[in-house]
Amino acid sequence: MKAGGFPYVIPMLLLSVAFFATPLAVLVGYSFTGSEGPTLANYGHFFGDAFNFRVLVNTARLGLETVLATTLLGVPIALLYWHSGKTARQVIIFLTLIPMLTSNVVRTFAWIVILGRQGPISEALLGLGLIGRPMSLMFTELGLVMAMCQIDLPLIILPLVAILSRTPVQYTEAAQVSGAGPWRIFVTVLIPLMLPGLLAGWILVFASTSSSFVTQAVIGGARNVYVPQLIYREVGTLFDWPLASAIAVVLLLSTGCLLVAMTMISRHRRLVGHG
Amino acid sequence: MNDFKMTRRNFGLLAAGVAAASAMPFAARAAAGETAIAATFPGNWEDGYRTVLSPLVKEAGYGLTIAPSMAQDQLAKVMASPGNPAYDTLLMSPGQMAVAIDNDIIQKIDPSRLKNWGMLDPAFQGEYGPTVTIEVNGIAYNPDLVPRPKGYRDLFENPTYSGLVSWTGFGSNTAVMAYTEMAKIFGSGPNDMDAVFKLFKDHPEHLKGVVDSTNHQMTLFQQGEIAVFMCSTGNVARLKSMGLKAEYVAPETGAPAAPVNIHLTKGAKNLDAAYAYMDAAISKAAQDKLKLPPTEMFPTNKDVALTPEIEAYVTREQLGNMVYPDWVAINKNRADWIRQFDALVAG
Repeated sequence: MKAGGFPYVIPMLLLSVAFFATPLAVLVGYSFTGSEGPTLANYGHFFGDAFNFRVLVNTARLGLETVLATTLLGVPIALLYWHSGKTARQVIIFLTLIPMLTSNVVRTFAWIVILGRQGPISEALLGLGLIGRPMSLMFTELGLVMAMCQIDLPLIILPLVAILSRTPVQYTEAAQVSGAGPWRIFVTVLIPLMLPGLLAGWILVFASTSSSFVTQAVIGGARNVYVPQLIYREVGTLFDWPLASAIAVVLLLSTGCLLVAMTMISRHRRLVGHG
Repeated sequence: MNDFKMTRRNFGLLAAGVAAASAMPFAARAAAGETAIAATFPGNWEDGYRTVLSPLVKEAGYGLTIAPSMAQDQLAKVMASPGNPAYDTLLMSPGQMAVAIDNDIIQKIDPSRLKNWGMLDPAFQGEYGPTVTIEVNGIAYNPDLVPRPKGYRDLFENPTYSGLVSWTGFGSNTAVMAYTEMAKIFGSGPNDMDAVFKLFKDHPEHLKGVVDSTNHQMTLFQQGEIAVFMCSTGNVARLKSMGLKAEYVAPETGAPAAPVNIHLTKGAKNLDAAYAYMDAAISKAAQDKLKLPPTEMFPTNKDVALTPEIEAYVTREQLGNMVYPDWVAINKNRADWIRQFDALVAG
C-alpha cells in the first residue's frame, strides 16, 4: 500500500479498535478478576479440571474433522465448477449459496430428521441390509460432523471458486502435454493453485465449527460437550463470568494456534511448489 | 464469474437503504407509545402471551413486546447490566426469584396499581409480583411407543423404557424437580444427589438421552426419537395441540409443582406499561383464554373456572398436596450438581 493511502484505513482501524480490540481487552481483563482482586485462579480452575481440558481437545478435533470433511467434498465441487460451462457454473454457485439463505437453526433442525431413527440414512442402511434395526446418528460426533460439514461447505467452496475462476484450465492441459499423470497434476499443479483458497476456507470452516453453538447443542446433545456450550453454561446457568472469560480466552488462543499452524503448513516451500 | 463493482451511487443507495431499514423499528415503537419489554419462556408461553396479552395491554393504552428467554437466561442478561435491565419484567419460578432478590435485580411491586390483584388468592400475591400460574410437572410419554410409566423408578427398572427416556441437565427447573424427587426415592433425601448420579452411572443407557433443554426434547419427541421425558402439563398440552400422541402422568410419589411469577426489574424503564402487562396477565379475560389448549395454564384468578382437562391434572384443592421443592437448598447446591452431572454425562 502507498503511504498516502493510510487515511483511508483509519475508519476501519477505528471500528476494529472500538468493536473488536476493546471488547477483547475487556474480556481478557475480566478473565483475571476474582472476588479478591486480580488472580490467575480462573485459568487454574479451567486447567485443573480434566473434564475442561477434554472439552477443549474435543472442540479442536471437531473443527479439524469438519475441515477435513468439507475439503474432501468441497475440492471436487470446486474442480467441477472450474471445468464446467457458464450455465453449469451458475447452477453450482446457486446450489452452494441457497442453503446459506436458510437460517442455521432451521438447517440444524432439518438434520434431526435426516439423522434420526426414521430418517433417510437409517432407512437406506436398513433397506440395504447393512443394519438390523433402525439406528440414530443423533448425539454422535459423526452425526455432528455431517451436519457441520453441510452447513459450512459454502465457506470452503466459495474461496476455491474465486481462485479457480481466475485460473486458466489450460494449466492442467500443459501439465498433461508435459507427461504428468492425473495425481501428479493434482499434487503439483492443482493443490498449489488452490492453496490460498483452501487456506481461507480452512480458517473459515474451523472458526465457524469450533464456535458454533446451536448445531453443537442440538445435534451433539449433552454427551458431546464443546467449548461454546461450556462458556454458555458458565454465563447463562452458573453466572461465573470471569471463568467464562478465561475459557473464551483459552478457546481464542488454542484455535488461534491451530490457525497459525495451518497457515505455516500452507506456506511451506515444498507444498506450494517451490521445493 | 462477473467482477463485483460498486459505484459511489450504488454505495450511497445501499447506505440510505440500510439507514431507512434500521430506523423502521424505532418509528414503529414511537407510534405505539410506552411499551413494556416482558421476558417470557419460549414456546407455549411466548405464543400464548403474545396472542392473549398484547391486545389487553393495548386496550390499556400501552404496547407489549414479548421477549422469549429461559428463566436462567433472563437472570444472566439482567445481571449483565444491573440498573439498565434488558427487560421491564421477568417471568420465573421461586428458584430464580431467590437468585434475583439476592442480586438485587427485581423490586417489590405496588399492588394498588393492579386492578385484578384482589382476584388472586393470598398465596399468589407475592410482594415481588403476582403468581400467574402453577406449573405442574410429571412425566410425558408416547402411548404408541411405551406403556404408561408409574413413576421415576419404573423408568430405570422396566427395560421397556431403555433407550427411550430423555433427560436434561440441572440448569432446567423441570429436571431439578425430577432429580430431587429421585433423590428421595433412591437416596436419603431430596439433596442426596450422589444417589441420583450413581443411578445414572448404573444405567448408562439413560445418559445417552441427555439433551440441553426441554425444547430440544419436545422436538425429539415430535420426531419419535424419544418416547419419555420430564415435563410440565403445559409441554404435553403443546404436543397434543400439534396432533401428537403425548400423555401426562403424575409420578406415584407425587407431582412436583412450581409457581410462575412476573417480577418487575430494578431500573425498569416502562413502569406503567409493565404494570398494565402484569394486570392483564392476572385478569379473568386473559386467564379464561390461557386455560384452554394449547397453553392450558392453571388459572390463579379465583373467578376463572378450571377446565375438565386442567382438573384432570390438578384441582384447586389438590394444589396444597403438590410437591414444592426447597429452592434455597437447591440454589445452594445447584452449581456443583450442574458441573458433576455434565461431567458424568460427557463420560
